[in-house]
Parts: sequence; structure tokens; C-alpha cells
Amino acid sequence: MSEAALLELRGIGKHFGRLAVLRGLDLDLHSGEIVGLIGANGAGKSTLLSIIAGLMPPSRGQRTFAGSEGVGRDERARFAVVSHTAQTYPRLTALENLELFAKLRAQAGGHNEALRPTLDRLGLGYAADRQAGTFSRGMLQRLALARALLGRPEMLLLDEPFTALDRPGRTLLATVLAQERDRGAAILLISHDLEALVSVADRVVLLEGGVIAGDVARAPGGDTFAERVRSLAGRMPAVGAEAHA
Amino acid sequence: MKKILPLAFLGAAALIFPVSVKTIFLDTPIEKQMGTVQKIFYFHVPLAWIMMLLAVVCGVAAGIQLRRDSKRAEAISIAAAELVLVTGLGVLITGPIWGHATWGKPWTWDARQVSTGLLWLVFAAYVLVRHYGAAGSERLAAGLAIFGAIDVPVIYYAVKVWKTTHPSNDVAGSLPSSMWAALWPALIALLLTSLALLIIRVRQELTDVTLDEAWIALDDAGAQPAPVSGDA
Amino acid sequence: MVALRQAWLLAVNDLRQEARDLELVLTSTFFSLVVLIMLGMSFSALGISAQPLAVPGMLWLSVAFVGALTLGRIFTREREFDTLRALLVAPVERVSIYLAKAFVTIVILLGCCLITVLGLTLLFPAAQPFAERPLETFALVLMGCTAYAGVGTLFAAGLASSSGKNVLLSVILYPLTMPSLLFALVATRSLLEGHESFLTYLGQLTATNVIAFVVGAWLFEPVLVGVPQQRRGAARAARRRR
Repeated sequence: MSEAALLELRGIGKHFGRLAVLRGLDLDLHSGEIVGLIGANGAGKSTLLSIIAGLMPPSRGQRTFAGSEGVGRDERARFAVVSHTAQTYPRLTALENLELFAKLRAQAGGHNEALRPTLDRLGLGYAADRQAGTFSRGMLQRLALARALLGRPEMLLLDEPFTALDRPGRTLLATVLAQERDRGAAILLISHDLEALVSVADRVVLLEGGVIAGDVARAPGGDTFAERVRSLAGRMPAVGAEAHA
Repeated sequence: MKKILPLAFLGAAALIFPVSVKTIFLDTPIEKQMGTVQKIFYFHVPLAWIMMLLAVVCGVAAGIQLRRDSKRAEAISIAAAELVLVTGLGVLITGPIWGHATWGKPWTWDARQVSTGLLWLVFAAYVLVRHYGAAGSERLAAGLAIFGAIDVPVIYYAVKVWKTTHPSNDVAGSLPSSMWAALWPALIALLLTSLALLIIRVRQELTDVTLDEAWIALDDAGAQPAPVSGDA
Repeated sequence: MVALRQAWLLAVNDLRQEARDLELVLTSTFFSLVVLIMLGMSFSALGISAQPLAVPGMLWLSVAFVGALTLGRIFTREREFDTLRALLVAPVERVSIYLAKAFVTIVILLGCCLITVLGLTLLFPAAQPFAERPLETFALVLMGCTAYAGVGTLFAAGLASSSGKNVLLSVILYPLTMPSLLFALVATRSLLEGHESFLTYLGQLTATNVIAFVVGAWLFEPVLVGVPQQRRGAARAARRRR
């Protein structure tokens, strides 16, 4: 893991009118690490992801990716987002969905992995020529991940990627994420699935009250990571309780 | 100083307005062709000019709002748009009154009437988007205002381009000096009133923003949970 | 150039998807047909002298209604599958998205105008000049639809990305596009009446196109995602130095 953070968030605040969702959040994401982000519903996880991805400006604070505050085309070529919605074109085949984004990236001067091997890697090789509209939700999720991996991103942002996957799908996803981490990618993973996070994350942070309220890291040789993650998750407010208390 | 500015403007307008009314109805000759009803011109034309000015102000402020994410510019944009609706209503009411007396029809669908009506509709759409739009629609409304501001020259050149029944753009330029003398006080009174209302409304919006920020600062100060880090 | 290449790729992609089930093409052209029939029924009794005044309005009203439907549908689809956000996050020039969607809208509208113009020519004798001067008619229809798409695409995309209510699209579209449609209306009347100033009016309509596209392209990114932090920070720093 390199020392300087690839992604630095300093004092990130976001409010909508009087509703403060993020309140001066600090977070670092390093190359070669997987950080899990947990938080109650409405805690601001998706808002944070949108800010990191450049879809929404923060109300205050600074977001720096690879030393730059910009989110222009060149910066966007270096990271990828897998949303909780698949964001695929239903009337295009899996291959055509990838091909579109590969060509767009190529026109912007970016590099692409080979399309079919990427689909094979995500277990979708057999469905390459099927329209994405015929896919199950789990397959769509994997297709979205395949699209994200095409450009060998330096940073990968995933929002609830395990949700629609069956057990073999989760195992495959965990394997792929570990491979990407070992390649040097920085991965931020939003998930409610503690078991999945424990299996794959190097660090888990809790978003509560609009800030990072807890941070547990996997220690080499230690076996208490799972317990500490569950303890961290236990701090989330119960359903019906104020998310920003 | 800033607080008394709108009151000063309103005070000045209140002083100038009776002078204006006296000048229009007692000191200015009656126009030969149109008769007494022509005097509505002294309210209609200033309202139209102010409407277009405010539309441009709204568009420019919206542009600054988008480029700099400026709350002050956003407040000016909102206030100006609402005043476009108010002054526009004045234009769209006084115009047909004058038209009915002059051309026998209150609304002749000529290009200038239509363009003014359209400008009014664009800014009405702006106000509706601001009111009913989702989060992020303030930028959309700003885009609307910019297009609306660009529409203003369309109004100005509509008469020249389409040769319509509306009095030409040159009507103001060809007035005898006694009629100019009556136009200026009315213009100044209406302009001062509009500026006063604009300042009051901008201040209202900025107060709203300040309240939101204070609310959030209070929320921030009280809401920080104690951080916990758990390395083995 | 990257922007234009990406725009072309996105437009071809949209048209390829459309070619697979023809949903938008069929619904929009059917709607054009329905509007045409309604206009025909409403104005069938118009005398020959009144028709040159009414036919331009019928054409551009039809474009206005079909355009709102088309733009609404194009972006509802993007919203349904959240693909607009995927494009906004990808290394795609934001202006390319605008140009691509505007292009697709123009193509659909041209198809609908074909039906409307043919129908009006059959229903109203005063519309014969559409058939007698096909090149001028095509230029007029192309410029009119382009002006409509230039303005409408920005706001339809803005509403889609902000999860805005669809009803606001009509609230925004009709007033904003009317100035361009007004120019188109006047140009159409001059075409039907054989006025020599038709080319002048066509030139003015073209000028509104240029304005619509320049302003629309300039506003697309700020309206959809806001001004990037870096540019805002640079603006603030410049103000502090002053």
C-alpha cells in the first residue's frame, strides 16, 4: 500500500437546504486497499459516493483524487463507479454495452482490456451476445462491474455490489475485488453485507452523523477483525431512530 | 446604510409618483390620434423596459450563480424573476387597455405582444421550477433564466423584423419633448419601486440562506459522535 | 474533436437501440398521425384564403407536441435504467451527451414531420408549396426541429438527472421553444405564400439554432452536475487576489 492517499476527502460537507447529510467528513483511500463503508439508511453513503464520483459538488470541503481537485474527463478515465442500479442499456447485448464504453474511453485516449475475457472473468462469457434486458439482477451487477474494470481503474467505487448476488456470485466478486486490490487499485465498497465486507475489506469505516465515526482495520495475524466490524456496525442506530442523532 | 436603501428608494418613489401623475395628466398635451388613453403609455413603456431589464438581470445573475455557485447571485436571480412576473403583468394589462382603445382589439397577436407574453411565461416557468423542482433543479432554473434573458433581444427586434401592428421601436425616440418630460418621472418612480422590492426580496432570500447555514452549523456542533478506531 | 466523435458514437448507439424495437419511432409517428387527424377534423372547413395562415401553426404545433413527447421519452428511458449517470461518470465529454441526444431528437422529429407535412399537403390545398418546393421545405423543417431540439435537450436532461417531475418538462419546454417556433412559423407562412423573404426568415431561424446550441452546450455541464470544485476554487482565489 503506497503512503500518499489516492483519494483524500477533507472537511466534506453536504446539505440540502437545512438537511445536513455530511458534516465535515475526512477520509483517505490508498492504492492497494479495500475500504468498506457502512452506515444506516439515510446516513449519506450514496451522497458521499456521488461527491467522490464528481456527480455532485460538496457544499464545503475538498475532494482530491490523485493530487487533483478536478473531475474532468481525464480524471474520470482513472476511476470507475458501480452503482446499485446496473446502469446498462437493456436493448444492447452484454458485449455491446462494454463495447460502447470501451470505445468512448478509447476516443478519450484511455486504455481498455479485451472485452470477452473481461466478461469471462465475471462469469458472463456465455451471455455475451444476449441483450442485457434479459439478464437477472445479479448478472446485470456483474456486467456493470465488467464495464468498470475495462479501463483498469486506479479507483473503484461500488455501491451495494453484493446485494443481488447469490453465494457463487459473491465469491466471484470477492475474488475479483481482491485481484484488483492486489493490482494496486483503491476500492471503496458500500455494503450492508457485513459477512462480505469482513471477507474482502482491509478496513471498514462507519458513516454516522455525517462524519466517519469509526474505523477498524484488519491487523496482520489478528483474527478479531470480524468481531470489531460487527461491533462497529452495532453502533448504527436502530430502524426508526434518527439517522443523524 | 444598506438597510435603509430600499426604504429610501420607496420614499423617493412616493415623492416622485404624484409629480409624475400630475405631469402626465395635467401638464402633458393629449395625443392627437389616440386621445387621453395614450397616457397609459407613460406606465406601459416604463414597465416594459423595467421588465426587460429585470429579465437580463435575472439571466446574468443566473449565469454567475452557475459559474461561481454564488448564493447572492441566486438570490438576485430569484428576486428578479419574480419581479419580471409582476412588471410583466403590468405590461400585459396596460398594453391591451391601450390596444383596445387604439386598435379596437386588446390583443392582436402581433410579435411584440406575443414575445412579451412568452417572456412572462418563461419566467413563470422559472418560478414554478424553483418551487416544485427536486434538489438540483435550482441549476435547471438558472439555465431557464439565461435562455429567458437571451429572449429579451427577440422582443426588442421583433417589431423591426416582422413589421407588425405594434407601434414601432422608434415611438419613444420620436416623442415631442413635453411627452419625454412626462415619461422620465414615471420611469424613475417605477424603477425605484422595482429596485426597492428587488433589494427587499434579495435580502429575504439571503436571510433564508443564512438561517439554513446557522441551522446546519448548530447541527454540526451538536451532532459529532466520538470517533472510535479499532486496530488490534 | 473528441467531443464530436463521442457524440456520434452515443447517437449511433441510441439509434441502434431504437432500431431494435422502434418504440420511440412508432409511438412518436403514431402520435403525429393522431395530431394530424385532430387538426384535419378541427380545421377541415377552413377556406382556401385562411389556410396559409393556419397550416404553419398546425405544422409547428404538431412539432411542439411530438417534441415534448419525444424528449420526455428519451430521458425517461435514461432515468429508468440510470444510464445517464453512467455516462456522466464515464470519461465522456458532457457536451457529447447533449449533442448526441439532440441529434437523436432531431432524427425522430424529422420522421414525424415527414408524416405531418405529407398529411397537411393532402388535407389542405394551401399546403401544396410543401410538395412543390421540397428542398426549401426540408431546410425549413430541419432548422425548426433543430432549434427545438437544441433548447429542449438541455432541460429534459436537467430534469432527468435531478429526478425532477416530468410535468415540469412541459412547463419549461413550451415557453422556451416558442420563440424558435415563432420564427419557424413566419418562415413557413412565407414559403406557403411564395414570399421572397423566405430565405431571410430561414436565415433568422438558423441564427436561433446557433444561439440555442451554443448556449445549450455551454450550460449542459453546469446545469446537470454543477461547476467542478476546481473551477469554483480558482474563481474564488481570483476574487480574493482582486
